[in-house]
Amino acid sequence: MEHIVSGIIVVNTETIAGKMIVQNLGVVGGSTVRAKHFGKDIFASLKNVVGGELKAYTELLEESRNEAIGRMVSDAVARGANAVVNVRFATSAISAGAAELFAYGTAVKVE
Amino acid sequence: MDFWWIAIIVGAPLAAFGIIWTIAYPLMFLYAALTSERNLVKSQAALVDREMKSLEHFRGSDPLSSLKGEHIIAGVEASGLVYASIVFGPSAWHQLIGWFANLFGGRIEIYHRVIALARAEAMQRLRERMQSEGWDDILNVRIDTAEMSPGGVKSSINAVEVFAYGTGVRFG
Repeated sequence: MEHIVSGIIVVNTETIAGKMIVQNLGVVGGSTVRAKHFGKDIFASLKNVVGGELKAYTELLEESRNEAIGRMVSDAVARGANAVVNVRFATSAISAGAAELFAYGTAVKVE
Repeated sequence: MDFWWIAIIVGAPLAAFGIIWTIAYPLMFLYAALTSERNLVKSQAALVDREMKSLEHFRGSDPLSSLKGEHIIAGVEASGLVYASIVFGPSAWHQLIGWFANLFGGRIEIYHRVIALARAEAMQRLRERMQSEGWDDILNVRIDTAEMSPGGVKSSINAVEVFAYGTGVRFG
């Protein structure tokens, strides 16, 4: 996590232990839509016959989530926040082979 | 002008894939029928091993909790988001068993086992990640389960995505 975000606290609790929220800067969000390469889709469907983890999809979603969080954080930084609290995630399959990942939270200033 | 060559460029790989698929699918299905039960049991055993190892590392108590942190009075040095995920699907053989079980209704044991394994695996990955990132505890753990069928209902992929996340805290 610390490799994506520097100098900003991101948590999914309503408060940050040991810190006090002094200003609310509104809801910030970031989303990304990703699709896997055609060939990897085929490999995933072959792997699905045998069963088990579909690593290609796990990686795809991991990368997309990192990107969504990165966008959310840069939105928060643009508003002058130093923390994002109560982060939530939403996932939706927008069309064949593409997934939308959405991360949102409240940008705040803490002391 | 005729564009027959476009039809060949697009059609030939698809036709080749179709032929390979029709040959490979029955063989893979047979392989799945023979190995998937054993693989499932094996990965359950491997997961229990890893769970015991991380339980040992955290001195016998599970670091994950869904508490919101009000019980912490002082001493937190840092906090941050931790998350882990897995996309996991039942094999074609297990899907067939599930389909038959679905005809009679009631408890579908095989799907239960697959999903329980995926969820436990996601939580174990969360524990391993917090260990590598150096958090002492994870608060407010949430587990999301999303259906992962990129082609809609008729997709050839049947899998679930389990996503576990929480707030890591480090005590000073």
